[in-house]
Amino acid sequence: MTLLAALALATAPVTSTAPVISAALTDTNVRVSSDFSGARIILYGAVFDPSTWPSDVVVLVRGPEQPVRITRRHKVAGLWLNSPPVVFRGAPGFYRAASNRPLADIANFGTLRRLGAGMDHLPISAPAEQRTETRYGVRDVVVSRLGADYYVWRRAVVRLKQNAGLYDEDERGVRFVDRGLFRAEISLPAGAPTGVYRADILLFKDGRPVAVRSRTLTVEKVGLERALYVWAHVRPWSYGLASMVFALAAGWAASAAFRRD
Amino acid sequence: MDIYLPIAEVAVNAPLIVALGALVGFISGMFGIGGGFLMTPLLVFFGIPAPVAVSSMALHVAGSSMSSVMAYGRRRAVDLRMGGVLAAGGLVGAVVGVELFRVLRLLGQADLVVALSYLVFLSVIGGLMLTESLGAIVRRRRGEPALAHRDRRPIWLYGLPLKLRFPRSRLYISVIPPLVLGAFVGVLSAIMGVGGGFILVPAMIYVLRMPAGMVVGTSLLQIIVTTALTGVLQAGRNQTVDVVLATLLLIGGVVGAQLGARASSRFRAEELRAVLALIVLLVGLRMGLGLFLTPSEPFVLMSGMVG
Repeated sequence: MTLLAALALATAPVTSTAPVISAALTDTNVRVSSDFSGARIILYGAVFDPSTWPSDVVVLVRGPEQPVRITRRHKVAGLWLNSPPVVFRGAPGFYRAASNRPLADIANFGTLRRLGAGMDHLPISAPAEQRTETRYGVRDVVVSRLGADYYVWRRAVVRLKQNAGLYDEDERGVRFVDRGLFRAEISLPAGAPTGVYRADILLFKDGRPVAVRSRTLTVEKVGLERALYVWAHVRPWSYGLASMVFALAAGWAASAAFRRD
Repeated sequence: MDIYLPIAEVAVNAPLIVALGALVGFISGMFGIGGGFLMTPLLVFFGIPAPVAVSSMALHVAGSSMSSVMAYGRRRAVDLRMGGVLAAGGLVGAVVGVELFRVLRLLGQADLVVALSYLVFLSVIGGLMLTESLGAIVRRRRGEPALAHRDRRPIWLYGLPLKLRFPRSRLYISVIPPLVLGAFVGVLSAIMGVGGGFILVPAMIYVLRMPAGMVVGTSLLQIIVTTALTGVLQAGRNQTVDVVLATLLLIGGVVGAQLGARASSRFRAEELRAVLALIVLLVGLRMGLGLFLTPSEPFVLMSGMVG
């Protein structure tokens, strides 16, 4: 347990009165290879707080931003048809909020909204549907084409991502294992996007964030998966030609192998 | 044993996908069809994003058709000239189809067009085949002679210009009908992720009146050329071809196809047609059903194509 030893050493020289939070991930590099079926990463952290005032810990993990295209099905003459798609921006490809108690008990709405803490507070918007106009003499009022339905759409984005296992909120996700020492678990599904993830570990006191620590996590394709993915996206035409030649050759080889006469 | 697909970006159970390839390959070898109409919906059902399923199927259909066409070629059951004319139309159709599919995806209407195409084409073809084959079975049970083959070709086939001689098929007809047919099937192949054999074969028999022995081999030639182009275009334009997925399907598919071809000799032709008609009809109705049932989730995320 070198990690615990390091933590014990780090605790000793803290003399300042301001609370400090510290954290480390068991793994900062997730490798997606052909047998990838998700990953589990443990986050360990410690709170150095000279006062005895109770504090809360919130862990926010965000994947790279991925615009979301979403459509709504509606009935037209007995048929369920798709509406024109709406593009939402600002949605992380992966999101986890873990805390030691419900977020709503830790801080107020405004604070959570500002920090993007919690699935309801993600900075998701549909800029293509928005325009600013002057209403009742107030300039630059943001109006969405979706009107009152806007929040229904926005909630649908979060709900669908949640169903796909990409968004989650765990109000018991941060557990104090010892005085000042906590752990949280981040589970990545197989469909987690590749890219750089950021974990923000926040210390709350009296509903205000008093200390923050950020850690990055890289999810990357390796080996053959990476080679194929890069090839298919950087040189799509040669990739397409090569895979077609391969498929035709495989078909020809199979026919030759099964030839009876 | 899960395997991660690099382009589809999902993990799938590899033995399951190989078994799926073998099952569809068996059906395809048994009935002499590509089987794309069955495979694409199954892949979507198992969680492969629809655009990737449609595009990767082009590789699978091309590969498995390649393995079948060799056997027909050895039996001299391929009309190269007719296949060439059909394929020329197919090339145009494939280019149009891939672009059309791209526009439809941008508009968010790809799902609708795919579901409607399946519903209309599969139900019509399946219904016609079922009626025809059940009629043949009933007549045979009663001991009546089979319906006399109407050898009269439609007049308009001869009225059109640009006539060409097709010695293998013993035809002297205008190149326009086969060109149009090839183009139409090419568009469908790009949109539905199918080879198009289920439309091509009946059309060649009943419209072009080609000899039955030439039809399957020649249609396979057209399917190979069209799907080969479709696959390359889908990879180049949409980056949706997953070669790992196609390989898994091919492994099962070619083995299944050979076994299916052997099994087919044990059954009567009209019974085979009746079973195939049922499968075609069921897939068509199942795909179309989604248009009429109230969805449990009114919102749908659309994969890819964000920019």
